[in-house]
Amino acid sequence: MIECRELQWGAGGRALTPPLNLKLAAGSLTAVIGSNGSGKSSLLRVLAGLDRPLAGHIRMSVARPGGVAYLPQQQQIDRQFPIRLLELVRGGFWGSRLGRSERQARLRQVLADWGLLDLQTQGLHALSGGELQRALLARMSLTDAQLLLLDEPEAALDDSGVDLLWQHLRRWQQQGRTLVLVSHNLDSLLEKRCNALRIARSGCVAAPINQLLDRDPLGRVA
Amino acid sequence: MTADLLWSPFAEFAFMRRALLGGVALACSAAPLGVFLILRRMSLIGDAIAHGILPGAALAFWLFGLSLPALTLGGLTAGLGMAGAAAWVSRRTGLREDASLAALYPISLASGVLLLGLAGRKLDLLHLLFGSALAVDADTLSGMLATAAFSLLVLALIYRALALDSLDPLFLRSVSRIGPFAHAGFLTLVVLNLVIGFQAIGALMVVGLMMLPAAAARFWSRRLPVLLPLAALLGALCVWLGLLLSFYASLPSGPCIVLLAGAFYLISVVAGPVYGLLRSRASIQTV
Repeated sequence: MIECRELQWGAGGRALTPPLNLKLAAGSLTAVIGSNGSGKSSLLRVLAGLDRPLAGHIRMSVARPGGVAYLPQQQQIDRQFPIRLLELVRGGFWGSRLGRSERQARLRQVLADWGLLDLQTQGLHALSGGELQRALLARMSLTDAQLLLLDEPEAALDDSGVDLLWQHLRRWQQQGRTLVLVSHNLDSLLEKRCNALRIARSGCVAAPINQLLDRDPLGRVA
Repeated sequence: MTADLLWSPFAEFAFMRRALLGGVALACSAAPLGVFLILRRMSLIGDAIAHGILPGAALAFWLFGLSLPALTLGGLTAGLGMAGAAAWVSRRTGLREDASLAALYPISLASGVLLLGLAGRKLDLLHLLFGSALAVDADTLSGMLATAAFSLLVLALIYRALALDSLDPLFLRSVSRIGPFAHAGFLTLVVLNLVIGFQAIGALMVVGLMMLPAAAARFWSRRLPVLLPLAALLGALCVWLGLLLSFYASLPSGPCIVLLAGAFYLISVVAGPVYGLLRSRASIQTV
């Protein structure tokens, strides 16, 4: 699905880590962990095709753009932007070939899945941080993308929201989609027993999360 | 009687009808662009580009005199050139686009003034910057109507992409390549409207017609599909009332139109239900 060879990335021409070699299979879920400024979000942006890598190659079996959907950190969204939640979520239909009635049904289903039916006519300014995050995740649910890149998807979500998120992540995995997410919530990742990629100046290590954290308990402050 | 006062100047004088028709068309196409400029945090860019078109217009005037197609082409080339140069500098250096534009527009303005000086013939700079709606001739009117129609059509075509690109450019870039094209198309429309507008009500006045109704509309609605027609309607109303004010009080038309739009803006700041000063809100008292 994705293969990174000798990949280096970073801001201002300065590489953040030694070269990364990584293979991610279709249907895999990988959590990217690491301390602030280690380059987690930058890696996601490079994988999404939003930034160019400094060196190395990325090969992937999906088209960029088109086969990729990216969930930005929610502070990048202007809360005063004059649209309603419904219109934000509908953005996920970009490039979709569904007919009008199918879209309506699908939209309704996704809004219901994320518990947003009652909020669909609210403006962005009236949403709480958690509600906006669920709206952004609902938009991602509408895309057909095979590679989903999520930057801190648990941000601002309450416990039920996090449960809902993980239900969706598992469902997307079962559909054979590849997921890469940046997270600071190590307890939650440990509980879900997912694979992780730890990014640090000293080097990047990919392994099941429990092994990574056993090997370096200090990593828990990541 | 009142109705007669509101319409008779237009019934009586062809130049008033041309000014009204051209001005309303310009308001309908420019004000929705202003809404998007505000949403894209590019509010001051219209002003910078309005200065940027001057050297092109001046060069065209030097070579071809007061020819409408030449002035339009010259202005368009200079405006697009400046917007393109600012985008290029930002992309290559990481400096924000508004900073590049702010740096480039004094250069453009100074070159324009220099070119007008070199031309040796007298073209009133004040006319170029502040224009006169009452001097719209049949050719200029056709140009304004065609520009407005083209502009609205293109805006309708790129509307969805532009809205998504303004709200969440990273998501759009991950799912589609259309974002930069929508941005470039949008900037082209802004330049086109400014160029055609500077011949009618002047380069700086058309910025007022682009931005003031848009800024005022923000105080009345939180819905983009409402904001766009509302800004256009406000702009059209200002053109109509501004022309009447100019006619009855014998005042220059451009400033009348823009100052009326300014009055609408101030009323909106105070009384607008969305962000206005008078909207009800709980107060926090310090004891």
